[in-house]
This record gives sequence, structure tokens and C-alpha cells, in this order.
Amino acid sequence: MIAHSLFPYIVLAMILFSIGLLGVISRKNIFVIYMSIELMLNAINLLFVTLAHYHQSMASQVMAMFVIAIAAAEAAIFLSLIVVLYKRKKSLDSDSYKALSQKESL
Amino acid sequence: MMDIIFMVLSLFAIGGALGMVLFHQPVHSALSLIVTIIALAGIFALLSASFLFMVQIIVYAGAIITLLIFIIMFLNVKESNLPKEPYKNITLFFGAIALLPVNFLILRAFLKLPMAHASLASDFGTIKALGMELFETWLLPFELISILLLVALIGGVVFGRKEEEA
Repeated sequence: MIAHSLFPYIVLAMILFSIGLLGVISRKNIFVIYMSIELMLNAINLLFVTLAHYHQSMASQVMAMFVIAIAAAEAAIFLSLIVVLYKRKKSLDSDSYKALSQKESL
Repeated sequence: MMDIIFMVLSLFAIGGALGMVLFHQPVHSALSLIVTIIALAGIFALLSASFLFMVQIIVYAGAIITLLIFIIMFLNVKESNLPKEPYKNITLFFGAIALLPVNFLILRAFLKLPMAHASLASDFGTIKALGMELFETWLLPFELISILLLVALIGGVVFGRKEEEA
């Protein structure tokens, strides 16, 4: 009777969020960092849907849909930024994007 | 039966997430992220969120990750252009240890909730229920999201155009 309690879903969301956070802090490949951010957004979505089930309210599902829409906008910006930066630097190392914090170095 | 489905789906989700973090090549990471996302779509269906189940498959797996894989293949990254990550496993190990107490606190906070499986209305999670909630209570955020998507569209065009010679 695991699936009839909501606690396992919360544990799963927590594990996925932790893996995403670990990916962000331990990898240097900018694509993997982006995918880890997507994984964290997905874990939060799972938490929203679980709590929608718990409170029997559609509001959290609407919130989860907003998160998906924001993730789509984020994907467009992030990936076009990666394309521009890869054309300039020929590298996917996130350390080589330090130049973004300085005005004149690009 | 529900238990077995939940266990299999969550194993796929966690395995795909671990693969995403551990694989060296970005294409392998993206493919294992698709496994995670489709497993999560199945879990949404278990939680009787049928519309979000469709949105997860169509928008996430169908649009976002496909765009990501398209960009990875478009850039055609050579092995020599991938960053070297000598401390990856060490950072992962110590990061996991550092995250354990935080996770313990979260679990203790959620354990206080009574976790009964409530019986739901028959139209819970359908597109009609979600649309009613969206256009009655959340109309302004919905319009703001459309402005955000427009800004993202303009941003994509600005980043994608050819650079003028300065």
C-alpha cells in the first residue's frame, strides 16, 4: 500500500531535487547544468501535484502548469545563449563564461 | 498493482536522474533526462492529474528536451571541447553528504502532515477542471505568462541574429 499514501511521492520529489542540486554544484558542462535545473523544476512540479491531490484543489496543478510554461521560456533563452557563447569560446565549460560578469572582455 | 507501478516509475525516474548527472557526454545526459521526465509523467497520472500528464509529455519531452537535443547535435561538440571534470565524483560524494541533514529536516516537516489518500471528485485533474480554475482565479498570472513567453521569443531572436561588425 505504498502508492496510497502521499509520503513516497514527497520522498521521490526530494530525491530528484537533491540530485538536480548536486548536478548544478558538481558539473562544469553547461548543458548538464541546464538539465539539472530542469530536473529541479520537475521535482517541484511533482511536489505541487502531490499537494494538489492532498488538498483536493486544482490551484497547485495550475501552478505546476505555470512552472512548465516558465521552463519553456527559460529553455529558449538558455539554449540560444549557449549557442552564442559556444560560437565565441568554443567551450562548454561554465568557468569560461565568467566574461559575462565583466563589461568589456567579450 | 498501484504499488508496483509506482515503484517501477520512481526507479526509472531516479535512475534517469543519476544517469543525467553522471554521464560525461551531454547527449547521453539528455536521453536519460527524457527517461526521468516520462516516468514523472506516469507518476502525475498516478496522482490523477491527467491533463498535466499530457502536458508533461507534449511540452517537456516533446518540445523542451527535443530542442535541447537539437541544440546539442547542432553544436556538434568534440570531445576536446568538453570541460574536464577531475573533481566531479568527489564533489558529488561530499555534496550528497552535505545535503543529507537538509533532506532529513524536510522529511520531518512533511511527516507531520496526515497523509491519507482522499477520495477525489470524478473530474479532478481533467482539462475542464484545470481550465475553470485557471480562467476564474488565475487569469492575471496567465496573461503575465503570455507576456513572459513573448519576451523570451524576442530574446531568442535578439541572441540568434548575426552580429554587426563593430
